[in-house]
Amino acid sequence: MKTLIPLIKKEILQIVRDPSTIIIAFILPFISMLIYMYGISLDSVHVTIGIKNDNPNMDTASLVSTFDKNQYISTVIIDNEKKMASAILRGNVHGCVVIPNDFCTRLSRGEAADLQLVTDGAETNTANYIYSYTISIANQWLATSPYAGKAKTNIITADIRNWYNPTLDSHHFILPGSIAVTMTFIGILLTALVVAREWERGTMESLLSTRVKAIHIVLAKYIPYYFVAMVSMIFNFVMTVFVFDIPFRGNFLILFFVSSLFVFDLLGVGLTISTYYKNQFLASMLSMGIGFMPALMLSGLLFPINSMPEIFQWLTYLLPPRYFSTFILSEFLAGTVPELVIFNSIFLTVIGGLLFGLVYYLTPSRLEK
Amino acid sequence: MEKIVIEHLTKKFGDTIAIDDLNLTIEPGKITGLIGADGAGKTTLLRLIIGLIRADAGHISVLGINPDQDKDKLTPLIGYMPQKFGLYEDLTVLENLTLHADLKDVPHDFGEMLKFTTLAPFQDRMAGALSGGMKQKLGLACALLGKPKFLVLDEPSVGVDPISRRDLMRMVRALINPETTIIWSTAYLDEAHSFDTAVVLDKGKVIYQGAPHSLAPTSQKFESKVIELMGGYIPHPSEVAANYQVEPFAGDYVVEADNLVKKYGNFYAIKDNTFQIKRGEIFGLLGPNGAGKSTSFKIMCGLAKPTSGTSRIMGVDILEEPERARSHLGYMAQKFSLYGALTVRQNLDFFAAIYGIDRNTRSQRVSEIIRIFELENVADQTAEELPLGFKQRLSMAAALIHNPSVLFLDEPTSGVDVLSRREFWNHIIGLAKKGVTILVTTHFMDEAEYCDRISLFYHGETIAIGTPAELKAQAGAATMEEAFINLIKASDNENSDSPH
Repeated sequence: MKTLIPLIKKEILQIVRDPSTIIIAFILPFISMLIYMYGISLDSVHVTIGIKNDNPNMDTASLVSTFDKNQYISTVIIDNEKKMASAILRGNVHGCVVIPNDFCTRLSRGEAADLQLVTDGAETNTANYIYSYTISIANQWLATSPYAGKAKTNIITADIRNWYNPTLDSHHFILPGSIAVTMTFIGILLTALVVAREWERGTMESLLSTRVKAIHIVLAKYIPYYFVAMVSMIFNFVMTVFVFDIPFRGNFLILFFVSSLFVFDLLGVGLTISTYYKNQFLASMLSMGIGFMPALMLSGLLFPINSMPEIFQWLTYLLPPRYFSTFILSEFLAGTVPELVIFNSIFLTVIGGLLFGLVYYLTPSRLEK
Repeated sequence: MEKIVIEHLTKKFGDTIAIDDLNLTIEPGKITGLIGADGAGKTTLLRLIIGLIRADAGHISVLGINPDQDKDKLTPLIGYMPQKFGLYEDLTVLENLTLHADLKDVPHDFGEMLKFTTLAPFQDRMAGALSGGMKQKLGLACALLGKPKFLVLDEPSVGVDPISRRDLMRMVRALINPETTIIWSTAYLDEAHSFDTAVVLDKGKVIYQGAPHSLAPTSQKFESKVIELMGGYIPHPSEVAANYQVEPFAGDYVVEADNLVKKYGNFYAIKDNTFQIKRGEIFGLLGPNGAGKSTSFKIMCGLAKPTSGTSRIMGVDILEEPERARSHLGYMAQKFSLYGALTVRQNLDFFAAIYGIDRNTRSQRVSEIIRIFELENVADQTAEELPLGFKQRLSMAAALIHNPSVLFLDEPTSGVDVLSRREFWNHIIGLAKKGVTILVTTHFMDEAEYCDRISLFYHGETIAIGTPAELKAQAGAATMEEAFINLIKASDNENSDSPH
């Protein structure tokens, strides 16, 4: 303890003096949260649809106006196929509905009529929206049209109730999920430089010539940065819940506990990089590559894990943000689910423990291993 | 007290043998100076002795402890100042001292230490904001805390002016117990001459051990003897100078400084500096650390902007046409400023290319300069791995690669061994004879003797200017070192007498 405490004091002084710590711990999450809140939305989007009507009459005119009245859709009338192709190519319209010339004839005979839907396959998400919009608008029109009686009615209809997020507001899961991504970045970046700095500035040599041992060096890095990262975590949480009004249905203590485990993992990743490479530039580059990118892409937040190729699914088991984002999403949206808390906590503890062991193993008590 | 006994010590780094079957006994309670060429293994030996690295073979006993096995028992007994000082630059003077005191478990009683180091007025200043000499004093103070039984100092006086060097020596002698054993590695042979024992290291072996006074009665003769031990220096014409072509210039002065002033807030780093250097002259800029020498250098070559005044190189104003002025100039910065990740050859090739040496002659030029500066063996090593002395040689080679007519050398010989220093100055003098105009700073007072004229710079002002003989006469001194100290003290007295 007599050796550890002065080292921790020294570390705290350095943290307080270093403006980059404040930037990483508070400014960075603030900016990223603003982006996630106002810049990113996975909700239904407003689209412009072209309509090429090859069967102009009163009935198809009312179909076109049904499209037009929809709040998510603007329509543009298109005369011929050539113009349709160029409108889609230039992005003037997101997709195009073609009403064929036998549309009304077939409907009046009670046959199935076709609507052709052309979309831009380069934007898969938008294409999917347009598809579902078109189907539902066509059915809506059909129900009120003169052909209503002629079509066979569906005997089963689905009445959709969205649990946990009734209004399907994507921010309700993006923001909590973004905490997992942002904290991954912060936790790793905070510590990725701190050991490398000691090597580069020659202070490691002078520490190792005193009674300081490897365990002191490791603990004196873990302990103060745990507190910095947790304060940053609380800051993220307060912003999410009290500033952006995202509902939180879980338990604060459990959130604090699992967050602590998560931070323990992240510090381990950062310190492993720093201790191994002993070079600040390399360490900061790597923390970007190891920290931010996989957290964003493989944590399951933006891209569902079970739709990844199998090898990537296995890979996600190695990533702390995978466990934390699963946990924090359920904690926010569904409230505490004991099975999830226990499962994710066990994995976070095991990974954190292994990383701690690795950092200790890599920390030399001499200038060479 | 126990001796330090080293038997058959060997240490390799890859294929390089750093310490080669070395035997050495160091008597307790004495100051032992460790001297040797760059890359002779001084730092490696010191690190082995205190257990910072492990030997491949052999045995060491320090105060009866084997540092290879019982490093933890040894560390509480030693004070160590590494070459990079090991200070936390973002902590204050007092916080650095506190950390080291806590790690050594000694009371926070820094009064005496602060008084001796003259750091008391700066105790709340960040270590990073201290001048070079002050940092060294603080590093030494941290090592001296708790009166260690065994003090290990790795070149504590590199780049330190003569006055601060005397201070460092005084600190050590005053703040230790008489029975403390000290190993002090140094490039200053006058320093080594004043110690109890001198150990000369060469290629990882001890080639001399004994009382410096028994080797030579004066420090000048001691230097010659050490050079002899290290293989001897045979005077020869400088190869750099042999084929050197200097651009013709008709003006009176090749380098001119006109009323240079540099202010930071209310602080004058340079008050009013004017001097002229003739073609082929070696002009020395001397002065204590923090006097403003490096700032002057940076302004003179257009790297910093003066608050007022200007300078001219071969008649070209550095403020008006910085690129054209600089094209005549080779600059060697005080701090190593080449690319650490590139090899020696790649660095030189890069500088040759940016100075516009054409592709066909470039590789020939690079090979030539590598040979002249004896960098063949390290040509394919990255620059950051090189010992300090080799880095300096590489920097000088890079500054000369494009045949400049004017050379600015900022402490070119700091951290360079005595043999290489001779060779450096052989080049400098040879180049001057060919008509190269040279502005140089140094903390080695014996080197100051080689200068045609010297400007003594203090608190941003020139306090004396003239040939070495004139300065010595003015100060009533026998040596340049004495002249330096006398003139600085005289200036201090004058300032304290005159009302401000």
